[in-house]
Amino acid sequence: MFFVGVQYSATAVLNTTLLRLKIQHMKNLILIITIVFSAVNLSGQTFTVNGTVTDMEFNQPLLGVNVILKNTSKGTTTDFDGKFSVSNLSIGDVLVFSSIGYFTKEITIQNENSLTIVLQEDISTLDEVVVVGYGTQKVAKVSGAISTVKEESIEQLKPLRVEEALQGSASGVSVIQNGSPGSKPTVLVRGIPSFTGTDPVVIIDGVPQSLDDLNSISSADIQSLSILKDAASTAIYGVKGGNGVIVVTTKSGRNNEKTEFTFNTYTGVQSVIKKIGVLNATEYGAIINEGSAAVGGDLIFSDFSALGRGTDWQDQVFADATVTSHTFSARGGSEKMGYFLSTGYLSQGGIVGGNDKSNFNRLNFTANLDFQLTSNLKFLMNASYANIKSKSVAENSFNSVIGNALNFDPTVAVYNTDANDFATYGYSNYLLSEIFNPVQQLDDTYNESNGDKLYGKFELQYDILDNLKLTSRFGYTKWDQVGKSFDPLSYYGPNNVSSDYYSDGTVKTQEVDNGDGTTSIIPSFHNSVSEYTVSNFNYTFETFATYGFNLNEKHNFDIVLGISRSKSTGHGFGASRQDVRDNSWAWADISAATGVNTKLNTNAYTGYSYQNLERRNVSYFSRVNYDYEGTYLASFSARRDGSIAFGNDNKFANFYAGSLGWVASNESFFTSKAINFLKFRGSYGTVGNENVNPQYVSITVGGPSYNSTANSNGYTFGTEFNSGATVNSFSNTTLSWEEQTQYNIGFDATLLDNISITADYFNKSVEGLLFTDAPPLIAGTSEPVTSNIGSTESKGLDLTLGYKNSAAADLKFNTSLTVTTSKNTVTATNSDGTAFVAGGSYFNGQSQSATRFEKGFTPGYFYGYITDGLFQNQSEIDDHATQTGAQLGDIRFVDFNNDGLINDEDKTKIGDPFPTFTLGWNIGFEYKNFDLSMFTYASVGNDIYRAYERNAQFSNKFRSILNRWTGEGSTNDAKSPRYTFGDTNSNIRPSDRYVEDGSFVKIKSLILGYTLPKTSNAFFSKVRIYMQAKNLLTLTEYTGYDPEISGGILDTGVDRGAYPQARTFLAGLDLKF
Amino acid sequence: MKNIKNSIGLIIILSIFIGCSKVVEFDPHDEYQVTEVDYLQTEADYQTMAVSCYTPMQWLNQMVVIGDIASDNAVAGGENASDVVSLQQIDDYNILTNNGTIQDLWVSAYEGVNRTNYLISYKDANLLGETVDFSGKEALFGEVRFLRAYYYFNLVRMFGDVVLFTDRKLGISDFGTLQRSPKADVYAQIELDLTTAISALPTAQSQQGRITRYAAQALLGKVYLYQEKFESAASVLENVVNGPFSLMATVDDVFLLSGENGSESVFEVQYSNGQPYYNWGGQTRGQGNYAVHQCGVRGLNGTAEMPYNAGWSTNLPTQDLAAAYEDGDARKEASVFDVEAYATNNPALNVTFTEAPFKNTGLYNKKYLPRKGQTSGQIELNYENNQRIIRYSDVLLMAAEANLRSTTPNVSKAQDYLDRVRDRAFGGEDHRVTATVAAVWNERRLELAMEGDRFFDLVRTGQANSVLGASGYNTATLGLFPIPQREIEISGLSQNAGY
Repeated sequence: MFFVGVQYSATAVLNTTLLRLKIQHMKNLILIITIVFSAVNLSGQTFTVNGTVTDMEFNQPLLGVNVILKNTSKGTTTDFDGKFSVSNLSIGDVLVFSSIGYFTKEITIQNENSLTIVLQEDISTLDEVVVVGYGTQKVAKVSGAISTVKEESIEQLKPLRVEEALQGSASGVSVIQNGSPGSKPTVLVRGIPSFTGTDPVVIIDGVPQSLDDLNSISSADIQSLSILKDAASTAIYGVKGGNGVIVVTTKSGRNNEKTEFTFNTYTGVQSVIKKIGVLNATEYGAIINEGSAAVGGDLIFSDFSALGRGTDWQDQVFADATVTSHTFSARGGSEKMGYFLSTGYLSQGGIVGGNDKSNFNRLNFTANLDFQLTSNLKFLMNASYANIKSKSVAENSFNSVIGNALNFDPTVAVYNTDANDFATYGYSNYLLSEIFNPVQQLDDTYNESNGDKLYGKFELQYDILDNLKLTSRFGYTKWDQVGKSFDPLSYYGPNNVSSDYYSDGTVKTQEVDNGDGTTSIIPSFHNSVSEYTVSNFNYTFETFATYGFNLNEKHNFDIVLGISRSKSTGHGFGASRQDVRDNSWAWADISAATGVNTKLNTNAYTGYSYQNLERRNVSYFSRVNYDYEGTYLASFSARRDGSIAFGNDNKFANFYAGSLGWVASNESFFTSKAINFLKFRGSYGTVGNENVNPQYVSITVGGPSYNSTANSNGYTFGTEFNSGATVNSFSNTTLSWEEQTQYNIGFDATLLDNISITADYFNKSVEGLLFTDAPPLIAGTSEPVTSNIGSTESKGLDLTLGYKNSAAADLKFNTSLTVTTSKNTVTATNSDGTAFVAGGSYFNGQSQSATRFEKGFTPGYFYGYITDGLFQNQSEIDDHATQTGAQLGDIRFVDFNNDGLINDEDKTKIGDPFPTFTLGWNIGFEYKNFDLSMFTYASVGNDIYRAYERNAQFSNKFRSILNRWTGEGSTNDAKSPRYTFGDTNSNIRPSDRYVEDGSFVKIKSLILGYTLPKTSNAFFSKVRIYMQAKNLLTLTEYTGYDPEISGGILDTGVDRGAYPQARTFLAGLDLKF
Repeated sequence: MKNIKNSIGLIIILSIFIGCSKVVEFDPHDEYQVTEVDYLQTEADYQTMAVSCYTPMQWLNQMVVIGDIASDNAVAGGENASDVVSLQQIDDYNILTNNGTIQDLWVSAYEGVNRTNYLISYKDANLLGETVDFSGKEALFGEVRFLRAYYYFNLVRMFGDVVLFTDRKLGISDFGTLQRSPKADVYAQIELDLTTAISALPTAQSQQGRITRYAAQALLGKVYLYQEKFESAASVLENVVNGPFSLMATVDDVFLLSGENGSESVFEVQYSNGQPYYNWGGQTRGQGNYAVHQCGVRGLNGTAEMPYNAGWSTNLPTQDLAAAYEDGDARKEASVFDVEAYATNNPALNVTFTEAPFKNTGLYNKKYLPRKGQTSGQIELNYENNQRIIRYSDVLLMAAEANLRSTTPNVSKAQDYLDRVRDRAFGGEDHRVTATVAAVWNERRLELAMEGDRFFDLVRTGQANSVLGASGYNTATLGLFPIPQREIEISGLSQNAGY
């Protein structure tokens, strides 16, 4: 819209040239700044200068600011009102104003007038603290590996989900987003060590939560995010820390400050970024005729040119949707009490079907309160409530709305216009099952869910001594959700097997055996309404002591010792009932439906309930942080964890980790002027993963099974069904935690005051991988047992570069670059390395599987045949290994194992869904009252498996088919074989034909803001208006909608018609008063 | 210092309070999960668990399909060469060791073995060491013994030497420790189970489909035939021949819904459509018969009176089979369905259909042709047609063969049994043939066409190479199927010859 002038060449994937240019640019800038700030000394008569120092953000007087005449020891400090007075000054003298936590400011004296100095808070100061497990630590003294994202960047980006703020901003964290409103992205902290679950633990204000819970927190409430990455940082979370820890700190009250009100609002419109090229009706008709002719069939469309362009179903299902957010908060406090109160409303529509069919609406209330009950007893209460309402459409499968929009017959009109035909919607006379009119599908999609979440904590802090504090906290999350869906009767045309009606508009019937020699005619189909309720509760009760002391003013100790106990429970109920009045959503409710069970229809009114596994943990933890004069750093932590999940022989596990650091720049011999700060760090330790359920020998009673092994029960004697019972699982009393060992080496440096570098190399290996081994087939169909077998290894580099001309006057500039790499390998599975888990299932006429978790490869790598062009003539077929069914123009598959036969054994690695590296590049300018920021994210080396192509005889085709093989020499591109109804060669088998490079560069966010000058309004302390574009530009060679395809490890990168992210333009207003 | 002491004391107290390690003990009862120690405490528990010993029989419906596709009776059709690949491999005698159908049959039969083993191992005392007695317990275990024998019989005739274990359901410590046992040992176990069952089972059951003494005797007769123990076979089959069975008027009648568990039924696997199944991840594992939709004509349509449903054209009878029937043999119409002729002969039904796109023979399996109103839910998975495993005519032909091949042949009995089968087929006595071994074998093909016995009969009688050699049958396999590759990898079993 406004910023399309920013252009990139398609090949410039943030290559080194770009980097070099940036560094050159920085150098120039540094030079200019140095010249500007070089003070010129003039001499003359002396006088006294008075003045006031205030804080920029809150406009409050600052007490205790050092005011020093430069290059002397002469000076003073400000008083309680922020006032100061310095005598014996002359024109040209330079006064240096400094205070901890603020940028130092230098003022050259021009005259005798009194001065008003405004100091800006230095958020990157080395005295800054970072939130770690069970406490905070000064950044300068940290010897582990921690990434942080601060309030400012969250406030500016205004992420819809918190994870969005981590993408590209926190090195070491990989985030793959999803376009469906409110849905959970893939989040990986330092690669993929595990198979049983890779979500990091989320700690909100000290209380353990899960990644799923991040959908309920308003980003406006967040003070900071810390991502604990190495074992030294996460080991204090023991068995839960294996996948990294995201520590979320929300805003809290401020003692002795007047109330600050904040109001933020924005609204915008989202739209689909691109369409996929499919055939129009005429082209479709021609191709279908060709496919039919290839097997000697009749022409299907005798005059295909009359078909015109037909319907592009994508135009019918994508709709612009809105996004709106309002947040309002009050923050402040008295001497004994602090408060942060906030409320927010977020409403996001989905671009598939528009606001009505997929959406996410959230209402938040938060009260974070603290009370100083006595001089040494403090009480904190955080309470948040969120209400989440959402609707969704079928996505990321061949029968999703997008899957149908891509594959449905383009010759069909959206609606039926033949008055003699009962149908409401257009239908195909060729696609008779599985693929439907997507507009009808959208219209027939009815669901809604409504959830209430209450979470927070009660915490007591007792100062036993000045430096000995006892903290006891009870953290909880309560989640209740109700949902409803309606499955109406539908008509897809007279020949469609899924039509619930005959062509005369009556519901299809069937004849059934009454069991007494007579039969009855009953309806074959019913509409039905389903309702469910889900309720979860979990809590963590923790008590720990922190003790800080020093010896000889040089040896500093910080000790944490504590215990924790947690429990999570959940249960659910559901019911469904047939025969909803008018076949209408308006009457869709269990209470209004009329279905009654009979002997002939036992499904008219059914219900279910379930109980989640009650998880319980008990843990003991401790940590000692030590430093010698802030120069030599050490930290050691130990945790003992007990979990119900493990076998009786292994209930408890111990985890240890340690780290060392050396702040070289503190040494007296360190004299470099260019390097302001330099710290080396190293850590080593173990953490775990308990992502498994207890294994025991269970008995199931009932009928057919829908479990992974379909271990069904029951039998019919005559016409009477009898429930059966059988053993359904194995026991494994030796089951234990996954043991992850990680080492990390890294350094932090600040150069030339403005440039910061943090770099880390990590290597983590998992032993005793929790892996569901395939049992021998002779053991039958009991569900497979999870065991500790196999191992994985992940290694990589996290890098953050930052530059900020913090002291500049008018034009402020900052930029940062993060680089995240990780290489993951499964190093062992079962004893002979043959076990694997297949995933990435999709359907293209056959049930296919695109990914595997297998020894020697990246977890979730793409698995299939390698193609080698097309058979151009018979001699090429004859010369090739035996490939059953191969015809001219078919794909030649590589005989990978060289046995002269093309079969399953020739499948191998054909791609990797995970990027080699990702880059996040933030750039921000402030000029006077304007601010401009841009965030660019790049992912390089991630492949995508194109699984949305249905490949039925009559499904629509993709434009690449126009380049198909039509005769010897026409093309040798394995992506474009001949088109035929009789695919005897199975050109559709999983192969690299469907693998594409999904590397991309996205301008994720571009923001232009304007802050009204303070003088223009006395009431508001800040008024900022801005415009933001999200997903403004995507550079990629991927031919699908969006190269970000999230999912579990075995589903990431498999595009079954995944919900694409929208391009959003929005305008907003931020107020403070 | 006092404060420090207090606080340390406080921490210790709190540790005791909340740090109790009992917190992490796990009891499945808290989750309302029934474990094995809770079960087998009442008669109902035993009865319910015995029901599920029957269940895996339903999962073996593809035995019936491959028994004809692997022979000269049928071909594997489907949409194209890449459809139903596992059946195509069997049809083409080019079976890969990772064949999905073979693997599913292997694992299904072994699930049956594990289920029956488990129940038998707790027959006298349950996990708590208690004995649960009830009337009919011996008979119930007779059924379970029969079922175990049935599972092992299917394994041994498909794979030859197989892993034999009878004392327990396999647990995690057994994985990778067992090897294949000689075929003879497996047969010995089958005989032991069946003779035990015969002595315990009643001749009639109140519920249809429950195993009777006759079913066990018929199966034992078949097992003896496979081992060429003709005297024993003749002897045990004689009981069934003289049992309360009679041939129905026509073979067609046997395969109607009304013919299920009828006068000709000795042993039938029961299916129903009352519990519709939707799990494509285990399509053979519901209460419905998956093998029925495979027999259907593609795109079959017609008036409401036309009784058949469309299907997948997967299991197609050959013209060779159709040609094997003499004129006047009603079994031709009952076995092979010529859809073209049907459409022509019944113009009022307005029949339309799509010619089978792959390996079209023009013929369809009439015995299990999908019929309207006999399925529900996910229609492909839920046909209620029972699988006729041992019919009375099969018993007669087995008895005829046993009497002919016995060291002291009884030709007159054999002639009588053969005549009874042929007389029914032709509706009279005009088409009788002399009872020779070859005549009985040929009669088995005609009588039991598309019922899954043909391939196993050809192998058993040593005719496989002469009949199937021209179609690519590999004699090196000795008529056995490959041990599933995954089993070889996981359990370290040896592979059969020829694979």
